[in-house]
Amino acid sequence: MLNQSSLSNVTFIYTSENSLLLQWQDKICQIQHQQIINCQKEIERELSEYIVDTVASYHCVMIYYHFEKISVVQLEQAIKALFTIIERNIDRQLVTASELIIEIPVYYGEDSGWDLAQLAKNLSLSIDEIITLHSERLYRAFAFGFIPGFCYLATLDDKLQQPRLSSPRTIVPKGAVAIAEKQTAIYPDAGPGGWHIIGQTPLPLYDVVNANEDTSQDKNFLPVINIGQQVRFKPISYQTFCQLGGELSLVDSLADSQISPINE
Amino acid sequence: MNSLTVLKSTGLCSIQDLGRPHAQHLGFSTGGAADEYAFLAANFLLGNQNNYAALEITLGQITLKADCRCKIAITGADCQAQLNGKLVKNWQALLLEEHDILQLHLPKEGLHSYIAVAEGIVSTSWLNSRAQTLNELKLGFTGHAITSGSTIELNDGCFPIINTNKDVKQWDILRTRTKFLGRHFYQSELLILRFIPQALWHKLSSQAREKFCTRQYIISSNSNRMAYRLSSNGTSNERVNIKETGAKLSVPVNFGSVQLPSNGQPIVLMKERQTIGGYPVLGVVMQTDLFRLSQKRPGQKVKFLPVSLIQAQQQLLSFYQKFSNSS
Repeated sequence: MLNQSSLSNVTFIYTSENSLLLQWQDKICQIQHQQIINCQKEIERELSEYIVDTVASYHCVMIYYHFEKISVVQLEQAIKALFTIIERNIDRQLVTASELIIEIPVYYGEDSGWDLAQLAKNLSLSIDEIITLHSERLYRAFAFGFIPGFCYLATLDDKLQQPRLSSPRTIVPKGAVAIAEKQTAIYPDAGPGGWHIIGQTPLPLYDVVNANEDTSQDKNFLPVINIGQQVRFKPISYQTFCQLGGELSLVDSLADSQISPINE
Repeated sequence: MNSLTVLKSTGLCSIQDLGRPHAQHLGFSTGGAADEYAFLAANFLLGNQNNYAALEITLGQITLKADCRCKIAITGADCQAQLNGKLVKNWQALLLEEHDILQLHLPKEGLHSYIAVAEGIVSTSWLNSRAQTLNELKLGFTGHAITSGSTIELNDGCFPIINTNKDVKQWDILRTRTKFLGRHFYQSELLILRFIPQALWHKLSSQAREKFCTRQYIISSNSNRMAYRLSSNGTSNERVNIKETGAKLSVPVNFGSVQLPSNGQPIVLMKERQTIGGYPVLGVVMQTDLFRLSQKRPGQKVKFLPVSLIQAQQQLLSFYQKFSNSS
């Protein structure tokens, strides 16, 4: 059995009229995060008539609920009752992330990794060492945020940790693989960003599909990586990058757009 | 095809509804009408369902041509709308004939105006909503941005036929609705933002809390549908600051989260906010006050006041009840 912390330590924070933030300990921890994801799934399933949306992050999950249907007291009782069942039921605790590892092909190079050379200097590592340290590790998808499909992956090797760029770029290319602090991520679309770019992937990070076969009116967004899944980066050559449909974006090849107030 | 044509648009115009209810877990903001009061009122005046898509026009300056007969309602910021050159009232439903020209000017106050059409606007639905978000337009999930030359497609029922006594009575009922609506929802010069405090607020000293609430904040020009940035005069010592130890993990944020970055200048998150954020959060402004805030312009002033969760819930519940008898 996983060494999980007791659910009685989870903090209930009623942040707004229709939201409840369930907060665990302030740390990046795979086991704790799996417990959060399990609880999120149970709440979505068992209390579905009251739930609008749930948003998980590193150490917490926000529950958006129909406040006109259920009071704060009732909601808290229902979730606590559910927690008791989860804790008593070993089967439910053992629900773990899919064994499937999502593999992201990355072309690491000084042309694709705009910050690779500078990073090697800052970290006193060779470019090859940076590539090895980044690609040999298995990461966990902890949260979505910033822009659609932007998935926060952790934990980065200590040797690679660097603060964000002091001055964020107004445009980072689609498919850029980047690192900052303890995290790594892939930019699903071109946009502003302050992380260090170390490579580019030819892989699209999401698919847009029709929600119903008979109508094109409503569409669904399917990300390649889902929260709770494991991710590994696989170094590929420039040739493979191109064969996989990649189009390399070079520094300054993208026109500067307006500076966006949002950044990652 | 029933439609409206945008002859000229120099401001900002988008299609909005109540937003995407189930999208934040994928990293999408909820989006949706900035001022739900004016948005709901526009649908209410037409007997539409609450969530029918309407046009949100920021700072007026749009000219529309009716390509068919249709019934519309204009609400929100008063743009001194002219129908074929003749002034028409705001917060009211009106009939457009084919070829009629409707012109909205720069409003003297407020930001967003709404034009709803009977039976709503036809547009691409994305994640169960027709709301357009400015940041995502280039991703092409929703329809194109509305600019000069755009065609806005309408439903068949955009001009309800009034020929029975029942129809006439229904139309009369709708016309009386206008007197329940209007400017009284919005507050005068100084808007008080009532917020639900979080743990961080309670950790502040009583002097710091008092300082935060007595201070007037000015809406900065760097404010938009994502966030309102506020600033206060005086030195940084006079502001309320949060001493953070170490890097904080990002936490899901709310519509109305009051973030306090290290410069002590609060940021209030709006409809097109990011879904998670790392700045310390003092609390969350109640939603009915956020609709009021969305109509305030840079340079206008606001103050903060703590409120209980129950009070905020009651306010929001009665707000929606006001519009619940539409149809």
